[in-house]
Amino acid sequence: MSNMTFGKYIPLDSVIHKMDPRSKILAMLILIVAIFFPSGWIGYGVIGLCVFIVVLLSKLNIKIILNAMKPMMMMLIFLLFINTLVIKQGDLLFNIYGYTIYSEAIFQTLYITVRLFLMIMITTTLTATTKPLDLTLGIEDLLSPFKKIGVPSHEIAMLISIALRFIPDLIEETQRIMKAQASRGVDLKEGSFKEKIMAILSLIVPLFISALSRAEDLANAMEARGYSPGKERTRYKTLKMVFKDYVLIASSFVLLIAMIVLSRIYA
Amino acid sequence: MPILFKEVSHIYSEGTPFRYSALTGINLNIKEGKITAIIGATGSGKSTLVQHLNALLLPTSGSVTVFDRVITSDEKPKNLKSLRKDIGLVFQFPEYQLFEETVLKDVEFGPKNFNIENSEEKAKQALKMVDIDASLFERSPLELSGGQKRRVAIAGILAMDPKVIVLDEPTAGLDPSGSKSMMKLFLDLNKKYNKTIIIVTHDMEQVLNYCDEVVVMSEGKIKYESEVKTFFKDSSLCKSLGILPPNVIRLKDELIEKGYKIDDDVMDIKSLVKIISRQVKK
Ligand SMILES: Nc1ncnc2c1ncn2[C@@H]1O[C@H](COP(=O)(O)OP(=O)(O)OP(=O)(O)O)[C@@H](O)[C@H]1O
Ligand SMILES: [Mg+2]
Repeated sequence: MSNMTFGKYIPLDSVIHKMDPRSKILAMLILIVAIFFPSGWIGYGVIGLCVFIVVLLSKLNIKIILNAMKPMMMMLIFLLFINTLVIKQGDLLFNIYGYTIYSEAIFQTLYITVRLFLMIMITTTLTATTKPLDLTLGIEDLLSPFKKIGVPSHEIAMLISIALRFIPDLIEETQRIMKAQASRGVDLKEGSFKEKIMAILSLIVPLFISALSRAEDLANAMEARGYSPGKERTRYKTLKMVFKDYVLIASSFVLLIAMIVLSRIYA
Repeated sequence: MPILFKEVSHIYSEGTPFRYSALTGINLNIKEGKITAIIGATGSGKSTLVQHLNALLLPTSGSVTVFDRVITSDEKPKNLKSLRKDIGLVFQFPEYQLFEETVLKDVEFGPKNFNIENSEEKAKQALKMVDIDASLFERSPLELSGGQKRRVAIAGILAMDPKVIVLDEPTAGLDPSGSKSMMKLFLDLNKKYNKTIIIVTHDMEQVLNYCDEVVVMSEGKIKYESEVKTFFKDSSLCKSLGILPPNVIRLKDELIEKGYKIDDDVMDIKSLVKIISRQVKK
């Protein structure tokens, strides 16, 4: 579990790391919208190339992104299976005892795979190059125009940052408790059904107790320091957009427009 | 030779940017029937080391031999369960592992997992050893005080009747009298039941008063190991390792500086007083 790199910040020294989180979040949103336009293989090729350049600039190891894809593998295989059952268009490729596979089914699956891959590549690059705290600052700032219509942007950002802050702690805690119970003979793999239920209980109960007590401690600590969500707050760190941030946003926009045009041509 | 570490290294998160080498080239022989103290600064790898004993962690390279079982990077011993029964490991802050409805049931959990007969009897015995009164047996473990929880958690391991008991900072956060009775319990287990005991601790007084052997760790390596008596004989050794010697030893050093003659192996307050009063009378 600790080997999981998906969504983890990876401290490196690169241009992308130093960019304003707001521009990175905006660029991500724009690109994800762009991916939803059916712009054909050329379109996806172009987006892929651009994202790949960003990954190179960020000095991230491409392996990290491939690792993030791994959990999706099962889902994609399942999708392929469903598609072969449902989609009966295009050329007939195989016919195994009446189980027919058409080219369109393969194409559709590939299409989705590519889209998914691009999205994961983009989101992983964002989370790997932006500190969680900066990410939430960025989200808060981007949401602040919607305050007028009642969106609690500060509260949302605070919720996200607390959740992000506690994920590694909870993973660590789970591992600790797992080890402690393993020392008492718990074996999650073997044993009867009843024993397995007991094993899971022996994990979940202490985990909940510790998570609840952490939450309580945190709430008390925040209150003791006078935290009040509605109040106007100043910041230690103020975000500032510079030229390269505008370049990033502008180029994402150009990509989006190009995709819209391409999808029109195809349709 | 019951427990033997051979060129053991452990790397956390190998193959990711977070890889961290927590142990390097550990060679260690832990003697049967003794109380061994493992000391060293925070982050020196003590907890990592002891988790190799019951194969919770596997060495990245090298091997750990525990009785006749060999643990290496690619090989969990086949009889993992019997290994975990033989090596009772009590974690740092074990009170976080309690989960059952009642104290007694929680202590029974371990023995039941290992299919030990009359687990209830074993659990009651263990609770008695750690001074938990029978009136608390049916209470929820969550209602106990921190110190009581700690005792219940330790009882949960003792009830498994392991041959070797490994304790990771068992007295951290306990009051002085609580720690003292806890250490006495371990001494008792060692003397009466001939259990091999391994204690991770930061308390030099405990090392001096209760332990036979000492292992000093620093930055994932073993810096020093010997009998406790040899270790404290020469306090310049302690100082060179960055360890503050126990009070008695410091007192002895100051007295020697003042011109008193005290033998190297005097390490308890009673004999120290005797020697000094004799010299003062002269
Ligand atoms: N699960 C883990 N993943 C990555 N690194 C870890 C993990 N557990 C421990 N470490 C690192 O390994 C090093 C040794 O940790 P360990 O817990 O063995 O130290 P310790 O000597 O027991 O310290 P303490 O006295 O504070 O308990 C530390 O630097 C720690 O950051
Ligand atoms: Mg430790």
